[in-house]
Order: sequence, then C-alpha cells, then structure tokens
Amino acid sequence: MKPDRKQGNQPETRPERESAGRAHRFWNAVKIPILAILISLVAAGVIIAVTGSNPFKAYYALLQGSGLAPKSSYANYKSMLTDFLSYVNYFTPMIFAALAVAVALRAGLFNIGVSGQMLAAGFTATVLVGYSHLNAVAAKPLVLLIGMAVGGLAGALVGFLKYRFNINEVVSTIMLNYIFQYVVSFMINTYYVDPVSRQSKEVSPASRLTLMDTPVGNLKIDIPLGILAALLAVVLVWILFDRTKLGYELKAVGFSRSAARYAGIRVGKCMVLSMTISGVLAGLAGVTYYLGYMGSIQPKVLLNTGFDAIAVSLLGSNNPFGIIFSTMLISLIGKGSTYMRSAAGVDTEIASVITGMILLFSACSAYFRYRMERKKRDKEQTVKEEK
Amino acid sequence: MAEEYIVEMRHITKRFPGIVANDDVTIQVRKGEIYALLGENGAGKSTLMSMLFGMYEPDEGEIYIRGEKVKLESPNHATRLNIGMVHQHFKLVSNYTVAENIVMGMEPVKKMLGFLPVVDLKKANSEIQALSEKYGLAVNPTDVIENINVSTQQRVEILKMLYREAEILIFDEPTAVLTPQEIDFLLEIIKGLRDNGKTIILITHKLEEIKRIADRCAILNRGKLIDVLNVADTSTKTMANLMVGREVSFETEKKPAGFGDTVLEVSGLNVYNKQNFHVVRDVSFQIRAGEILAIAGVAGNGQVEIADAIAGLMPVRSGKILLNGEDITDMPIRERTLKGISYIPEDRQNYGVVMDFTLSENLALKNYFKEPFCKKGMLNRRAFEENSGRLIEKYDIRSGQGSSTVVRSMSGGNQQKAIVGREIELASPFMIFVQPTRGLDIGAIENIHRQMIAERDKGRAILLISLELDEIMDCADTIAVIYNGEIQKIAPADTLTANQVGEFMMGVNKKQAVNGKGGRGE
Repeated sequence: MKPDRKQGNQPETRPERESAGRAHRFWNAVKIPILAILISLVAAGVIIAVTGSNPFKAYYALLQGSGLAPKSSYANYKSMLTDFLSYVNYFTPMIFAALAVAVALRAGLFNIGVSGQMLAAGFTATVLVGYSHLNAVAAKPLVLLIGMAVGGLAGALVGFLKYRFNINEVVSTIMLNYIFQYVVSFMINTYYVDPVSRQSKEVSPASRLTLMDTPVGNLKIDIPLGILAALLAVVLVWILFDRTKLGYELKAVGFSRSAARYAGIRVGKCMVLSMTISGVLAGLAGVTYYLGYMGSIQPKVLLNTGFDAIAVSLLGSNNPFGIIFSTMLISLIGKGSTYMRSAAGVDTEIASVITGMILLFSACSAYFRYRMERKKRDKEQTVKEEK
Repeated sequence: MAEEYIVEMRHITKRFPGIVANDDVTIQVRKGEIYALLGENGAGKSTLMSMLFGMYEPDEGEIYIRGEKVKLESPNHATRLNIGMVHQHFKLVSNYTVAENIVMGMEPVKKMLGFLPVVDLKKANSEIQALSEKYGLAVNPTDVIENINVSTQQRVEILKMLYREAEILIFDEPTAVLTPQEIDFLLEIIKGLRDNGKTIILITHKLEEIKRIADRCAILNRGKLIDVLNVADTSTKTMANLMVGREVSFETEKKPAGFGDTVLEVSGLNVYNKQNFHVVRDVSFQIRAGEILAIAGVAGNGQVEIADAIAGLMPVRSGKILLNGEDITDMPIRERTLKGISYIPEDRQNYGVVMDFTLSENLALKNYFKEPFCKKGMLNRRAFEENSGRLIEKYDIRSGQGSSTVVRSMSGGNQQKAIVGREIELASPFMIFVQPTRGLDIGAIENIHRQMIAERDKGRAILLISLELDEIMDCADTIAVIYNGEIQKIAPADTLTANQVGEFMMGVNKKQAVNGKGGRGE
C-alpha cells in the first residue's frame, strides 16, 4: 500500500538511516531536559534580579561554590580542588538514588521508597560496621556489601508484595518509609544517640567511605571513594539494560506486562528482581550518604534525596549517563548555594527555588513529551484505522 | 442541482503523512436512498465519511448538506446537521445502561426539589422504549451494555443516532462483527430506516450486502473514486473487479489435505476467566499434522480463551492439553513455546509485540534467550540485526527505519506481518492463529492465508480462530463451531455450509441447522 516506505528496508540505505536514527533519538532524549533547564534558569534569573542581585553573578557563584570555577580567595588548606571534591562527595549518593529510581521505572515500577531504603541500609551499616573496630581494608567493603544487602532486601520485599499480593509498590514503599524512619529513630534515640549533637554517634573513620580532611600537599581534602562505585554502577546499569538478557526482560515487562508474559517472560520474577536491584542501588546511596558524606544519622528525618532522585532520574531521561549530568546539575545548585549567599548576596532559599523550578519544568516536560507522543500516536492510529 | 442531493462532497482530497487517503473524490447522495461506499481496506472510505462526520477537515474540496455549503468542524456540528455515524468500534460506556448511553450528552433534565437539575432517567427510558418500537430496534433501556451482545450494542448505537434526530445515517462496516443471521436482521433494519425517509450511507467491502440493500454504490480504490453504479444493473463480479482493480478469484488456492498423526489433543477443557465466569465448557478436539482446524463463533464465546489456555496465558480449571502426546496443561508459557507452540494472538498490540521495542527486538521476542541472540546472559546485538534483516526481507515487513524502527510507529498490517513472520520462523509443529487478518487489506490477507496454508502443507497442525466466516470457510479443513463456551459441532469443512455454521454460531440446535440454505458470497 505504501511503496514510498519500502526504501527503508533496502540494505544499502540501512546503516545511514540507523545512525541518523540514533542521533535523532539522542536529540529527542536531550532536547526536553535542556529546554527545561534553560527555562528555569531564565525564570530564576528574573527572580534573582527582582530581589536586587545580579543573576549572572549568582550563577557564577554557584559554580565557584562547587569548585567548577575559581573563587577570588581561599581559606587555609582549601582550594578549588577541595571544593570540587566536596561537591563530588555531596552528589555521589544522588547518583545511586537516581539510578535506583531509573531501574525500577524501566521495569514499570515506581520506587518512592528510596529514602527509606537508604536509611535502613545506612543504619544497619552504621551499627554493624561503623561502631566496630574493624580496620579500613575490611570495613569499607563490608559497609558497601551491607548497604547492598539491606537495600536489596527492602526492595525485594516491595517487589514480592507486588508480585504475590498485588500490593501497589507506591503504597508499600511509602508505608515502609514511615516504618524505617521511626524504627531507626527509636533505635538511635535509645541506644546510639550522641548527647551533644542529638544525632547518632559518628562512625569510625575506618568505616567511612569518604576520607575526611586527608592532608595532600598543603591541602586538606575530603576524598569520596564512593564516586568510583557510583560510576561503576552507572556503567553496570547501562550494560544491564542495553546488553543483557535480564535487561531485555525487565524492559519488556516495563513496556508491556501482557506482551512480556506472552513471550514467556516470568513477569513476577522480573518485578521482584528489578525492585531488588533498585533497592541495592538505594542501599548504596544510603551508605555513601550516611557513612560517606554525613558520618552520622539524624533521627526522625527522612532525606529528600530519595524523592529528588525521582525528578533527577526523569531529568536524565532514565538513562544512566543522563543521570550523571542531571545529578551534577541539581547538586551543583544545592552545593553552591552557601557560597552564592556570601558572594552574590542571594539567599540560599533561592537555590531551592531554582532546583524546584528545574524539577517542576522537567516533570512538566515529561508531561509535554507524553502529550506530544500521544498526539502523534493518535494521528497514526487514526491513519491506521483507515486501512 | 441543489435540492436533489442531500449530501454532496465535491472534489475532496485528504492527505496523511505518506499517503493520499482521498484523491479528488466527488459523491452525491440523494435523500432517502441507501448509498454504498465500496472499497478494500485502505481505499479511503472511512476517511471520506470521517470528513462528512466532522472528524477531519478535507485538505481540498467542499461539502454541501441539503444544498448548503458547510464547513464541518466537529462531530457535534455534524450532529446538529442531523448527521449520525455508527462506528466500526462502538463508542459505548460499558457499565452504563442502554438508556444512559443513548441520552448521554443530551439528557432529559428535571429539577429535583424545584432547583437541582438531575437526569430524568425515567423519561429517558420511556423515550427510548418508544423510539425502539417505532423503528423495530428491540432493546431494553435498563440493560447494562456489558451484559448485552454485540448486535444489541449495535442497535444501541443506531438508536443513539435516531435519538439525536439524525436524517443522514453513516454505517461504518456494520456487519463485520455479526453472524449471518444477525446480518440479515440488520439489513432489514437499515431498509426500514430508509423506508422511514432516512438517508443511509453504508461503508462496506462485502458485495453481497450491497447487492441486497443498496440503491447506488460508489467504488473507491486507493483513494480514488472509480465509478458510481446503479446496484440493480451491476453484477457483484463487476463490482469486485472494480473494487480490487483486477480480476479476483473468490477462492483461496488450497491443495487437498493429507493428515498425519495427532499433534494437539484437548480433552474436557474448562476455563474460568478473571471474573470467574465459566467461559470454556468441556471442550475437546484434536488437530492432526497437516490440518487446519478452525473455531468459528461470534466474538466473546470462549474461543480466545481456548487459545490462551493452550498457550498457557490462562489457567485451566480442568481438562487436559496434550502436545505430541505430552501433557502440557500446567507447563509455564516459555516451556510450551520450546515444546513447539507458535501463537499469533488476537490482541496484537498488547500481546503480540512490545510496542516500544524496536522491530529487531520484537522479531526475537520468542527466542532472544537462545543462541545466537544470547550467550551467558549477554545479548548479541548483531544477531538481532541479522535475524530481523532476514525476516524483514522474507515477510516484506515495511517500516520507516528498518530494524531499529520502534514498532509503535509501524502500521497495524506491518506489525501483524512481523508477528506472523516471527511465529512461523519458530517452525513449531503446532500453530495458533487468532484473527490473523483482522484489519488488514486484501493483499495482506491473501498473503497470510497463503503462508498459513503453506505451513499446513509442511505438516504443521494449525488452530485458526476467526470471526470472519469467509476466512474459516476458505482455509479450514475441519470446522468447530463454538457458542457460549461449548463446541456445538465439529465436522470436516466440506460437509458444512456457511449458513449452517452461522446457525450453530447462534446456538441453534442441529436439527434446525440442517435445513439452512447452502452457499455463501454469490
């Protein structure tokens, strides 16, 4: 019926078309996040200008505060490098958390419980390793392993509830968030509280995933070891979805449960597995936060990281490499805000406003993309129905 | 010229990306006639009528209603001009009653407590009762849509138009979902409507229906108007040739069957659906190598559930399914595939393909876990590409970007070709074809029938489930007729006529059925 389409199948034109298709897909994937970022930067710029400051100076201060641009002066033992590494230290947990969200989303599940899983993993590792006398060589890998195990179990539980009892994962993860939050704060307040800081006692330096205040030359640097694991995780998640049988199955389940089942894929197993992997990643986010960045746990507080991760993952189009960039961007604003206040006189709250706007616009743009695609699809559908 | 025609569409052209759906088409419909639009799938009949119903705007051309030039902006606008349309896929709210569906959008309103406007359902019910009696369209206004059968639902759609005082009634392939007996009944209704002064436009590709009721007939081919004929002076053969644009044979080429050993044996099968209805009742049959067994039946009588149960998508309550003598009743889906079942499902978009996967990923959906596609859990992308390149060529699957096309962007016909190709390539001894040609054009239908019969000749056992009686009569070696989950009759295809099959489909018992007249088509 459509002779004009047939050319696409002829071998000589196929390779070009495919590379063109890839470039096209890449552009499709990045155009909406980029647009969202630009719009929100402009909008926030207007707000900053209205409050009487110079938006360009403010944005530059964000870069300076995160060690991406030189400051005019540095304190003792500090430099652009120390700023940058402390920025890396700050965003490492977010990479894991956003990956956790992305893995679940690819399989069609919504893991809202990343924060709770982080807390459970962080707390367990703190108690078991952080308060022990193990040496660094034994303690650090053990922290990672415990984080993965606890997070994975928490995720698997959610997947199992979904598979066995058809309990919506959104509901069960929210409820588990509460359970983890209050059980952990009870334990901390009863057994592990530091009377001065009102937080849990600090973990041993040997178990800490960030080497704090390490003297290097005339600098004192925080060296975040977790980032290596995070980058490895990015690559592994990419391989999982692009190159493995399991990834193929998870994606099939995420796109269409009925078609996956028809193909003989065990849908329940895939849901449990994807939640487990998601939980493992959330657990890693937990240990890199509580035993890396922080060193202690504040009772009764559930981190925003797990929720922001949803938006970060969306902003990165659920793509592992995209997530690195969206994480760095969102964290840049959070990390640089203190310096922005002192250098440009812009309140730190404005930083939250910018973050909020980017996330809002990117969330909206997911909606716009959906609308655009649906419109396109409807059109195709009606054309199809003609036939 | 003005008053003579109630509907005139002049020089209509409508383009969609990559296709000209209507190319300079002019039709003129007289008041009080039955005007048929005849053409293959994709000839542009539905597009033309969608424009008359205000769903699309023509790119070029003009529409005149009762001699006045109009620009139809929406279906609501068309309704105001007394144009009504019964769509191929009914647009009914399934958990509302007949009356609620009919009055929806223009409900009779009464004031509760003197000021609160509420829908006056009692009035609606009585109005609809009166309307249904006037036109002989028997419905019960208080029945819920999901509990009534397809032909009654269609009557509800017709009443919906009449309630809106439609004078020009468009029927889009109204008989596609009906049994022969229901078709007779519907055609009588349509005649009755004409005799009541309505103007009818009938979209169809069934010549016999046109011959029976239409006054005039416009023939479309690939978007172009070929001819407008007086039905009384034209033979169906002529119409068919004009429609397809070449000489057509009404028969599918088929060698006589040579049956081998029993491949599939189903005995005492009982299946309950999710709502715990008993949808398959004590069904038993056997299919031999080299045999096409077709299950005929009106939609929703349990035939799809039989296929799902055999493929493992639906649990079996009792009974046995044997494949080559091996009990597969409780086997997981994947194992059944490996034991040798190919399955072309009814719902191709929700089951047959993962719509957001690429073509190459979809073409390996049943064997991605085997070498060469997968080694030790890692996928070999090149094997995917090679496989899909081969199948694209062999089964003429057309798409925008070859192997890397996302299947969602492909046309339904090509999606189906991909599924059929993939399933045939599995070379399973047993194959299930459910509605394999639904929504496809005549060329594609011929092609799929040819492939199915070729597989039969290779000695595969084939279960064909179809709502199209013609398809069953053309392809089957053995016909089983199902009604209400029960097999009414199993017999060699050459011992049954289409009419007999039709009567079994309605659940009429054997004695009465024997009197049915033979023959189909001409």
